Amino acid sequence: MDKIMNFLDKHLMPIADKLNNNKYLTALREGFMLTLPLIIFGSIFVVISNLPYLDRILGENGLNQFKNLLGAASSSTLSIMTLFVVFGIGYSLCKYYKVEPIYGSAVSVAAFIILTPTFLQYGKTAKEVVDGVIPLDRLGAKGMFVGIITAFIASEIYRKVIQKNWTIKMPAGVPDAVSRSFSSLIPAFITLSVFLLVRIIFIFTPWGNIHDFIYKMIQAPLMSLGSSLGATLVAIFFTQLFWFFGLHGQIIINSVMDPIWRALSLENFQAYQAGAKHLPHIVNKQFIDTFTVGMGGTGMTLAVLIGIIIFARSKQLREISKVATPPGIFNVNEPVTFGLPIVLNPMVLIPWILAPMVVTAFTYFVMSIGLVPAPVGVDVPWTVPIFFSGILATNSIAGGILQLVNLLIVLVIWTPFIIMLDRKYSSAEKGAIGNKANNSLSK
Amino acid sequence: MNILLACASGMSTGLVVKKMQEAAKEKGIDCKIWAVSQDVVEEEMKNADVLLIGPQMRFLKSKLESKANELGIKIDVIKPMDYGRCDGRAILNMALEMINN
Repeated sequence: MDKIMNFLDKHLMPIADKLNNNKYLTALREGFMLTLPLIIFGSIFVVISNLPYLDRILGENGLNQFKNLLGAASSSTLSIMTLFVVFGIGYSLCKYYKVEPIYGSAVSVAAFIILTPTFLQYGKTAKEVVDGVIPLDRLGAKGMFVGIITAFIASEIYRKVIQKNWTIKMPAGVPDAVSRSFSSLIPAFITLSVFLLVRIIFIFTPWGNIHDFIYKMIQAPLMSLGSSLGATLVAIFFTQLFWFFGLHGQIIINSVMDPIWRALSLENFQAYQAGAKHLPHIVNKQFIDTFTVGMGGTGMTLAVLIGIIIFARSKQLREISKVATPPGIFNVNEPVTFGLPIVLNPMVLIPWILAPMVVTAFTYFVMSIGLVPAPVGVDVPWTVPIFFSGILATNSIAGGILQLVNLLIVLVIWTPFIIMLDRKYSSAEKGAIGNKANNSLSK
Repeated sequence: MNILLACASGMSTGLVVKKMQEAAKEKGIDCKIWAVSQDVVEEEMKNADVLLIGPQMRFLKSKLESKANELGIKIDVIKPMDYGRCDGRAILNMALEMINN
């Protein structure tokens, strides 16, 4: 057992190190982080404008008017999320290379817009065309991957040109702001020319623009893979395995999966806004965070704490439940993972890996038969306690109830292991007291 | 004395900070202790004498070590058991020892 543990630990650490500290994945994470306050703002107003029974209070016309009034909250944040991700990636990468990040951001956004088609097809056969507009969905879910790739490449070209010193230098005495905008002139010019060329080249391909090319060739296949139950179970298995070795599993796995899960969330959101009865994707960001591996803290440990409170008598477990329950309610659970401990504790490896996977399969099943609606794509901050987060994520009380059922499933799987641990700790504690007594007698 | 803690989002290290502040008060030590997320840690390091990393983010150490050397500050990973028990006293002692050595 020790050999296997050492072997895995030795091989998991470098993976964690590479995935977390890779400059592109870091930029991606920071790009998404930038969007978070905006997305939560938009999400809150989507929840408000879809509160139950509003139609009875306001009437159908009143409700439509109400929705229109609040509509800008989400259309200026959630619907155009890719724009902010592009901005954030450009900023983060240029900061990493120590070149003016704000110009890097602006150039990345401009490059992305250059690649974006400025017409919209509509009508039943999509034959009607409006010119001179940027379709919102190109700045949302559909443009996510083009945006990410564009921001990476634009920032790279921009910083390389600067680092080659192909810049205009103003004489001393010129105000700083002026000289800075001149020094980014040539790098911006070269970067954007490259993207203009790409746009022109794609006009002569069957796709017409790079958006449709990337969507069909890269994004759509990755999304359909990422939304499958099998791939989700694999992702959750690795999240748990990393945590078992005391490494932050989500930070590592999500740095790869987030673009896919977030794009799936956005597509659900767009369908939801359009009034769809059945949302396209069961698996998405909120499915993972609020119903499976992140529910009640990584590895769903809130259920474990409840198990301890019900079944455990040993001092060590009681002590842990006291320290860990208050933060656990808000889905912060390092006290349990390191204090129980779960990390590197072979006695709990089975429930630790098994419980979230069973819950994932169960949640997927319940949502696919329509008993509980799929998450609508609004973002729920990860510190919202369970039951409430489930309701917010699905805009349905069924979401909250599902979380409680999931909690129960985890509790059932863990119970025998909690009892086993408790016996072990109890007897060790009794032994310790016995030894002390013997020692004091012998003195 | 400035003690900086860092983890993924500064949440769980935030729990530890509170316990450390209590422990520092008991001991009558005047120090600033705070927790940050990994995306701002490099900026915050400039104001710290010592950086402690949550064990779940221990792969940050290799990335931050050169920066720490450059700034002349000490850096280490918190022991998992101390972290799990939110043992403010033990973690404060660890920081003090690092500064004094």
